[in-house]
Amino acid sequence: MARLPAARPSRAWALWVGAGFAALLLWSWQGTGVDLASLFGREGLRQIAVYVRKLFPPDLSAAALSAAGAGAVETFAISLIGSLLAVAIALPMSLLATRTLLYRGILFEGRRLHPGARAVRLGFYAAGKAALNVLRTIPEIVWALIFVFVVGLGPFPGVLALGVHTGGVLGKLFGEVLEDVDPAPLEALQATGASRVRILIYGVLPQALPQFVSYALYRWEVNIRAAAVLGFVGAGGLGQRIYVAISLFHEQELMTLILAIYAIVTLVDALSAYLRSRLV
Amino acid sequence: MYELSGVRKVFADGSVALDGISLTVGRGEHVAFIGPSGAGKTTLFRILNLTLRPTAGRLVFEGQDASGLSDAALRRARTRIGTIYQQQNLVGRLRVVHNVLAGNLGRWSTLEAAASLVRPRSAGQAATALERVGIPEKLYARTDELSGGQQQRVAIARVLVQDPDVLLADEPVSSVDPSLAVTIVSLLRDLSHESQKTLLMNLHSVELALHYFPRVVGIRDGRVRFDLAPEKVSGELLAELYAGDRDEEQALERFQDGKNPFGGACRPLPGFGA
Repeated sequence: MARLPAARPSRAWALWVGAGFAALLLWSWQGTGVDLASLFGREGLRQIAVYVRKLFPPDLSAAALSAAGAGAVETFAISLIGSLLAVAIALPMSLLATRTLLYRGILFEGRRLHPGARAVRLGFYAAGKAALNVLRTIPEIVWALIFVFVVGLGPFPGVLALGVHTGGVLGKLFGEVLEDVDPAPLEALQATGASRVRILIYGVLPQALPQFVSYALYRWEVNIRAAAVLGFVGAGGLGQRIYVAISLFHEQELMTLILAIYAIVTLVDALSAYLRSRLV
Repeated sequence: MYELSGVRKVFADGSVALDGISLTVGRGEHVAFIGPSGAGKTTLFRILNLTLRPTAGRLVFEGQDASGLSDAALRRARTRIGTIYQQQNLVGRLRVVHNVLAGNLGRWSTLEAAASLVRPRSAGQAATALERVGIPEKLYARTDELSGGQQQRVAIARVLVQDPDVLLADEPVSSVDPSLAVTIVSLLRDLSHESQKTLLMNLHSVELALHYFPRVVGIRDGRVRFDLAPEKVSGELLAELYAGDRDEEQALERFQDGKNPFGGACRPLPGFGA
């Protein structure tokens, strides 16, 4: 088969890309009203110093500690259950968002899909992809506002918000993993007379599972941070307490809560990193 | 077993892999396919194992026109054809026992297949198959930790479990060293001989084809160039088959000089070949 010689990247092209990027940067700088003087000017620095001084020492009274502890546990629980809910949503939906399982690729070369059947399968794929996009593009905080409205205040809307948004994220990632598995073993399984479902169970999933787990753990790390924020709109956990502490100018209690967030995020990051390192 | 007439395969990118192959293979026959790389041998085997559909022409397997088969009938027909690939095509993350038992996937229900991944349904069957290919100790090893030659044996064990009527081996020895190649080719031949299976093998090595097979088919540019008993395959025919393929021409020269890289280990089974 004749191949074209590899095209040499042209220098002019690189210059144009560089200039375009610089223009974009300048425009964004202007657009966001970056004002270094107000941050690092004398007045700015003084404000920072005043606020930081108010944070210390952290409130270590029994009441504040137990509130921070309860908040941390609640945030941890929201992130864990939310992430599990996300996996439960992502697994079935990712099958719909995988072209190679639905209508094309190595598993379909042996048969000619009826045009109607192919259209139906393409429809499933498009619908699956679109649904995942909707889940994913709506931020957790918006989902949280919606669910607070639906089920009321507390950790439960937080769980739902994380589960639904992260379900969309993981569904897309899982679908990409499923499309990327090595097709050679699948062809061999197909040649033994295995049906597509059996090939999925026996050949596709064993190859994909380690990456599924790795992505899910990574999203759990993201979710523990997100869970802390969701409380701001009334979805429970440390965030809700932080919001109250800021609103009531309880700076020392705020510091205790910030330390609690730091501790729990570090804990989850370490746990997740350890679990991911065990997967090879 | 197989009747092919005018089988063509044109891929989506327009490249013609097979350009009118006509061929009949009887039950229990042993046939070697040789030819330069890119001749279309692998495509032919993918059509023969019914995972790829010809663009034109007729493929009759056991009296059934393959193009007329429903999905279920196609899968039933595939259970009767065992394929061994050039790359071992195993699921590397699974244990050997699961890869061997995958030969049952055409028989098992989906539920049985899933359950077997948790607890092997018939570990004894897998152990027996591994014993026949000489690596019984690897039953619970992780497949991707095995050497290339061992993985090829696992692939053969999978086919033993599948117990098909036809064995297709697509360059089963191109990734193993010469002495192992002889072992694997003779293993496949003996296994199919004792259970009277049809054996079709793509071979990179002319020596192995001529020594082990009573019928040798030369393929070039997607067409059958010759279809002869090994003693009738002349040096000119081989030179013509491989013309323009440098590596092959050199290997051929060495072979014709009498320096058989496989040495004395390469002797035909009585009643076969020269």
